[in-house]
Amino acid sequence: MSGVSLRALVNGYGFLGRRVARALASGKVPGVKLVAVARSTGYIHRPGGLTLEELEGDIASLEGFVEGSPISLLEDGKVDLLIELTPTNLPTGEPALTHIKTALSRGIDVVTANKAPIALAYRELTELSRSTGALLLFEGTVGGGIPLVSLRRFCLRGDEVLSIRGILNGTTNYILSRMHFEGLTFELALREAQNLGIAERDPTLDIEGYDTALKLLILANSVMGLNRRLEDVRITGISRVTADAVSLAKEAGLAVKLIGSVSPDGHLTVAPRLVKLNDPICVHGTLNAVTFRLRTAGDLTLIGEGAGEPTVTSILNDVWEVVSVRARLTGARGT
Amino acid sequence: MPVKDICRDLTASAMPPVRVRLTCALVDRPGTLLRTLEQIALAGGNIISIVHSRESITSGYVPVSINVEFPDAQSLERARRGIESVGVPVIGAESLEKSLRTVIVLGSGELGDLIEAVEGLGLKIVDASVRGGGSELTARLTLEVPEGAAGHDLMRRLEEVAADRGYLLLSEV
Repeated sequence: MSGVSLRALVNGYGFLGRRVARALASGKVPGVKLVAVARSTGYIHRPGGLTLEELEGDIASLEGFVEGSPISLLEDGKVDLLIELTPTNLPTGEPALTHIKTALSRGIDVVTANKAPIALAYRELTELSRSTGALLLFEGTVGGGIPLVSLRRFCLRGDEVLSIRGILNGTTNYILSRMHFEGLTFELALREAQNLGIAERDPTLDIEGYDTALKLLILANSVMGLNRRLEDVRITGISRVTADAVSLAKEAGLAVKLIGSVSPDGHLTVAPRLVKLNDPICVHGTLNAVTFRLRTAGDLTLIGEGAGEPTVTSILNDVWEVVSVRARLTGARGT
Repeated sequence: MPVKDICRDLTASAMPPVRVRLTCALVDRPGTLLRTLEQIALAGGNIISIVHSRESITSGYVPVSINVEFPDAQSLERARRGIESVGVPVIGAESLEKSLRTVIVLGSGELGDLIEAVEGLGLKIVDASVRGGGSELTARLTLEVPEGAAGHDLMRRLEEVAADRGYLLLSEV
């Protein structure tokens, strides 16, 4: 893209980090050069750009691998774009929160899929972004590959989001779907999800509703312009939902789903609720579904995979957006 | 919620015909009720019943509840404006429509205790189905709930009552 060459650091080298790094190293986003990749033990920095071959194996075995945090790359202005993909950490949001603040305060653009910093410090980070002019994009934090934040930003500018409700966690939806269709108990469905790698070994964040609460907070603050904190969300998980409850719901043409909702009066709730089987948000398996109620356009529902590979689409689209904005600004300065 | 907003809420959500209870504060003077009813008739409202609470007279005002069926929600809004234009404040508007809502209640307790709590809120149980044995109770209740803000309030209070008693209540979205 027109004359822009952004030096990118991918911080976090797990499922998403590897895929995003490979996409950038193979030139999927013109105008971005992958110059650094970091994992929990250290980082590799190649000012000339990392190659796909270098990303084949363990980056720790590459020549020039430095042990420790990559924060010096941000502090020393060695990168123009931080792609923060470290795992979500509650209750602090660290170390991602410090990485993002360090980048933004130095005018370095940030793309992230890490929920905690955006959910816990939305106001602080957006104000920092505004004051330094650095971009902060976080589509990958909510709904995997479903464009929710960008949909609001680019397609619904003339309307007002009155309320939001949806299924925002694929793990709990898988468990509840197995209970609904196969009559499994909660414990059996959870074990099955863990065996399939859908649920973590410690599933607390998902089944007790915290993951949904973080995503709901991000939507409430970014899409509805509220200023809510995690303690404002009333959270009930699904661990008390029994096979009997699911079966009684099914007999009445309903399904039990973990629903995150922002009411028109601004209350945020995460709780297992009853959803009519013909409601568009009544999706099954690991799918997510979100309904925005708009003042003019009415209800708008989006459905898609809420985690895994589709999240890469959201992250790369945010990276494209950074390049587009920087190219526009460079063009504007040049004229 | 202010009456104006309740009317707007009904205007946005109610399906025709719209049945409501309007409560007006009438000055205790002959002819005031007639002027109020004229405005309802002008807006196309069909009056079902009138309750004149003379025993609740306060500072010269008598609260009068009028149950009306309007052909559509816009007529209700016209009537509200008309009544206020003749100097009569509309102090309440409540939908007379009721809908059925399903809840599932889980927890350890007695069914009788749960039913008492639900009915204590003024909610009518029209169907119940119970599963489980021993002290663990799972019950599906079908409740008759007023439409609109009053219904929302009642469901919110039911959730609080259930939580206070240690139940997990699953309600419809």
